[in-house]
Amino acid sequence: MSLGTSSAPVASLPRRDRSGAPDPSRRRQAIGRAVRSRLSPWLFLTPALAFFAVFKFWPVIWGVYLSFFHVRPYLGNEFLGFDNFTRAFQDTDLRAAVWHTVLDAAVSVAGSMLVGFALALLLESPARHVRILRTAVFLPAVTAMVAIAELWGALLFPGRYGAVNSLLGTVGLGPEPFLASPDSALWSVMLVQIWKTAPYDMVIFIAGLVGIDRQLYESASIDGAGAWQRLRHVTLPSLRPITTIVLTLGVIRGLRVFTEINVLTGGGPGGATETIVTTTYKAATVSNDAGYASAVSTLLLIATILLTSLTLWWRNRQEAK
Amino acid sequence: MAFSWRHRALAAAAAGVCVATALTGCSKSGNSNQPEAEPSGPINVWVRGAGDSVKAYQTIFDAFSKKTGITINPPFMTLTDFETKLSAAATAHNLPDLVVDDAAQLGSFETQGIIQEVDKGKIAGQDQLTERAWDSAKDLKGKYYAVPFSAQANVLLIRSDWLSKLNLQAPKTWDDVETVAKAFTTQDPDGNGKADTYGLAVPGSTTRGYISWYWSSLFWQAGGSYFKSAGNGKFAANLNSSQSLESVKYFENLFCTDKVVQPSALNDTTTETNKAFQTGVTGMYFTGPYAYATMDATPIKGKYIAVAPPKGPANAQTLAEGTDIYLMAGGNAGAAKKLAEYMITPEAQRLGMTAVPTATIVRLPVNKTVDAATEHQGDDRWKLAQDVYQSSGRYEDINMPNWTALRQATSDGLNALVAKCADPQAALNTLNDKLNSVLRTQGVAG
Repeated sequence: MSLGTSSAPVASLPRRDRSGAPDPSRRRQAIGRAVRSRLSPWLFLTPALAFFAVFKFWPVIWGVYLSFFHVRPYLGNEFLGFDNFTRAFQDTDLRAAVWHTVLDAAVSVAGSMLVGFALALLLESPARHVRILRTAVFLPAVTAMVAIAELWGALLFPGRYGAVNSLLGTVGLGPEPFLASPDSALWSVMLVQIWKTAPYDMVIFIAGLVGIDRQLYESASIDGAGAWQRLRHVTLPSLRPITTIVLTLGVIRGLRVFTEINVLTGGGPGGATETIVTTTYKAATVSNDAGYASAVSTLLLIATILLTSLTLWWRNRQEAK
Repeated sequence: MAFSWRHRALAAAAAGVCVATALTGCSKSGNSNQPEAEPSGPINVWVRGAGDSVKAYQTIFDAFSKKTGITINPPFMTLTDFETKLSAAATAHNLPDLVVDDAAQLGSFETQGIIQEVDKGKIAGQDQLTERAWDSAKDLKGKYYAVPFSAQANVLLIRSDWLSKLNLQAPKTWDDVETVAKAFTTQDPDGNGKADTYGLAVPGSTTRGYISWYWSSLFWQAGGSYFKSAGNGKFAANLNSSQSLESVKYFENLFCTDKVVQPSALNDTTTETNKAFQTGVTGMYFTGPYAYATMDATPIKGKYIAVAPPKGPANAQTLAEGTDIYLMAGGNAGAAKKLAEYMITPEAQRLGMTAVPTATIVRLPVNKTVDAATEHQGDDRWKLAQDVYQSSGRYEDINMPNWTALRQATSDGLNALVAKCADPQAALNTLNDKLNSVLRTQGVAG
């Protein structure tokens, strides 16, 4: 330790008089500084916290509160205890919706990650033409989901002369029903989700790829590792933290999937694309049962927190290895 | 004037506080429920409508303001998720004073407590309205919760050029419909050399209960009814009847065997279905006479005709509907009632029918002194609509405690049945049980 660093705290100590008692004014200043340094971060955080408190935390708390009631804004709420929750666990439609949500989240998150990773490998280069290509590929990620869903809804028109079916027809396939059949509707929605989110995952993966030490690749090459081995033993292990982030974001996104389904199919046909949030939305707005909708939302919140914690625990365990 | 400004400022401040406290249950202070000596505005109005309907309603509102001095704030109008937005406004205790929406919403609004009961005897001009129209504003207990504004019954629109090309006649029976639909699907009626046309346009989505709304006519034409009385004002679902089975088999067959319906039908609302008919994808569309104006604004104008609904095994009944005026809870009841009273006058009814030719917001007048056929001289389609309404129009069971919930349950079941081309009897039994459980939650199961 250098003299310079060790002298700094000494110099900042309040000077004492001969009796050894601290100078009161200096002491006050020191306390003031300490209070300021403690308070200032909170001061800076206040606007954001106030915003979140009003628009996020309070609605969440209020939603949890409402889940214990039959909500009737103009007739007075009726306390139901845990009835809404019991109903949620017995609701077969909700059970189907949970399954659709889990399947949709698993396939679309895995699909987006795979495609995003492949795109990242292909497009990770500082060259100008690649940058242009990368921007083009990224466009779906910044386009509004409603616009994308409307567009895909038209492209996937199930008739023989729908855009995608025309293409399939040229190679002797189709026509496919896509969104019109309960067997293929959810898969078609997943296709749209992967198309939209893969570029987003790509950008995160590119950031991860850029951060990998080039010397690792060179060493591996010198040791005789081929392209596949470099990918397997250098790239993938280095991307582990990034993968966890992509996975966490994907799971959260997957559990609250709504817009694309509401626009593309409205939950149909035959409830084949009904998810937790579309069911909740319909309970609140079509059946005017805000209490039940709040109870389902509360359960979804708990599930999301548990899953996120699980992912974080898994990441910490992996990093500790 | 100063009072009016202060009134608005108070309302704005109250609305601001409502937003800031987010759902904490504050209510509008600007529009109190206190009886007022002389009704005054401004009043807030929401209307389910879009496009040129906005202009048509504005014409009526302007005429009302000129006559009474009561001003109306720019009305909020949309077709998209109208009831959803109204629910959100109710949750925030920020309802408008008056709403114009389908009569079928009556029960849903009443059970939410967001509309006020209407004392029919105290509505000026109430005796000029038809009893059938008033029935569409009544609940199961015989209490009125709305003022009727417009009525209609569905007719069949059909491409006349396609019929001529294939030497076919307009269908008069279910079998005819099937024959024509098959021909439209397989015989290239538009002559473009591609098999890209379909017989029927069906809004088969579950959104707002569209598929049940469409199927109701077929159901009644087979002699069916949604409910049977169990006495003492109680009911039992009647969807597992032989008539129900017959109509569902016919309906399912159009989708699953004949494949004569536009392929996206089960996800389509009326917006997409209108488009399918307007763009020459489908050749027949069973819909309300309001569609005349919509279709005439597209290239198929003059290429289609309207005919009476084809007869089913039992009769030719067709879906009748109404548009009602609702006075909202906690609203400026005095001024809103004045507006409702004006909207049913012969003058306003005529304005609604003809002021904006591209938007007939009054389809068939509810006022007995106004005649649709006379007002639409030269357009026989309106005479047809009027005749069909009077002879075979049948309303949905909108007087049930919450018809929209029952219709939604029926729609979910029907949509699933057709989507899976399932065994109709088994699916109808399940659907019947479901409807009985909904009736139980509404307290009217027998």
